[in-house]
Amino acid sequence: MNPEIQTPVPSPCISLCEMAPDTGLCRGCLRTIDEIIGWSSAGDDYKRAVWAEIRRREADMEFK
Amino acid sequence: MIDLPATMRVFERGWLSSNNILFTGSGPTALIDSGYLIHADQTLALVEHALEGRPLERLINTHLHSDHCGGNAALQARYGCHTSIPVAEADKVRAWDEEALSYKATGQQCQRFGFDATLAPGDTLVLGGLSWQALGAPGHDPHSLIFYCASEGILISADALWQNGFGVIFPELAGESGFAETRATLELIATLDARLVIPGHGAPFTDVKAALGRAFSRVDFLQADPKRNAENAIKVMLKFLLLERQQFALATLPAMFEQNPVIEGARRRYLDLSAADLATWAVRSLVRAGAAREVDGLLLNHEM
Repeated sequence: MNPEIQTPVPSPCISLCEMAPDTGLCRGCLRTIDEIIGWSSAGDDYKRAVWAEIRRREADMEFK
Repeated sequence: MIDLPATMRVFERGWLSSNNILFTGSGPTALIDSGYLIHADQTLALVEHALEGRPLERLINTHLHSDHCGGNAALQARYGCHTSIPVAEADKVRAWDEEALSYKATGQQCQRFGFDATLAPGDTLVLGGLSWQALGAPGHDPHSLIFYCASEGILISADALWQNGFGVIFPELAGESGFAETRATLELIATLDARLVIPGHGAPFTDVKAALGRAFSRVDFLQADPKRNAENAIKVMLKFLLLERQQFALATLPAMFEQNPVIEGARRRYLDLSAADLATWAVRSLVRAGAAREVDGLLLNHEM
């Protein structure tokens, strides 16, 4: 099942926790620092929006 | 949506790094637990970003397993933060006794750090403008502390209570008592009026009664046949090492198991298998659970 349709929404963290200076995104989960910091106290709507961003960033990276 | 006081942030990552709890407000800034060594750069980035230019003034550890204090050295180097550790660990940290501190025994990494003060059960500290009481929480680790804020009903439970269970009961693997302590710690938590638990791993949760029920059932299940605790520990430790390194040559695993004092001790004490057979069993268990993949003689990490 896709993580973004589950409740509660699972964390995208895959324990490869390192910020990439060129993108400002975590290399493991493709989140910004603000998204990582905000995750644990955010609601499911925010978390699904972050997952949508992650999918968009994944697609972007495939084109580069 | 988790309702945290405005002076608290929780950095929740995967299982290799414990959660980090950051306190701000008018008093000193503070962090409880610092994550795993190889994530220390990101831990620094998260702390720096969330503190918006303020320095980190205090660092506190619930216990000294590598996934809870692996960022201590980096935070101390950056901020010179005043650091408090559980009192029972003071001599081991002062001498940096890697065997007694569990890093050698588990094959996990931790960079040497120092401390300025110790904490004992019953101590009170003010973090984020709130009063927290340190409570002893043996079981997973004999010297672990947990922190309870009565005015907010918030418990920082480290690895003594998770939404589903608790951390590996390590003392039993070495033939020492741990099941009774785990149960006593859960009973202590049940006497608190906690509305919100911030565990050492995983999301903060509010269904505390249900989590306690699951944890009591789990300790009963493990104690009924200590072999179960040993088997669970070996799977968890292999997954942890796989998260750290991302892959192993399958052929190297039997020797790695034999050289790992915790795994080898648990095998000799509880399991009627050779190191090679145990490695094969552990690999099969992780693969079946979707936590690893076998490809061309390699065991690869896999996220579920």
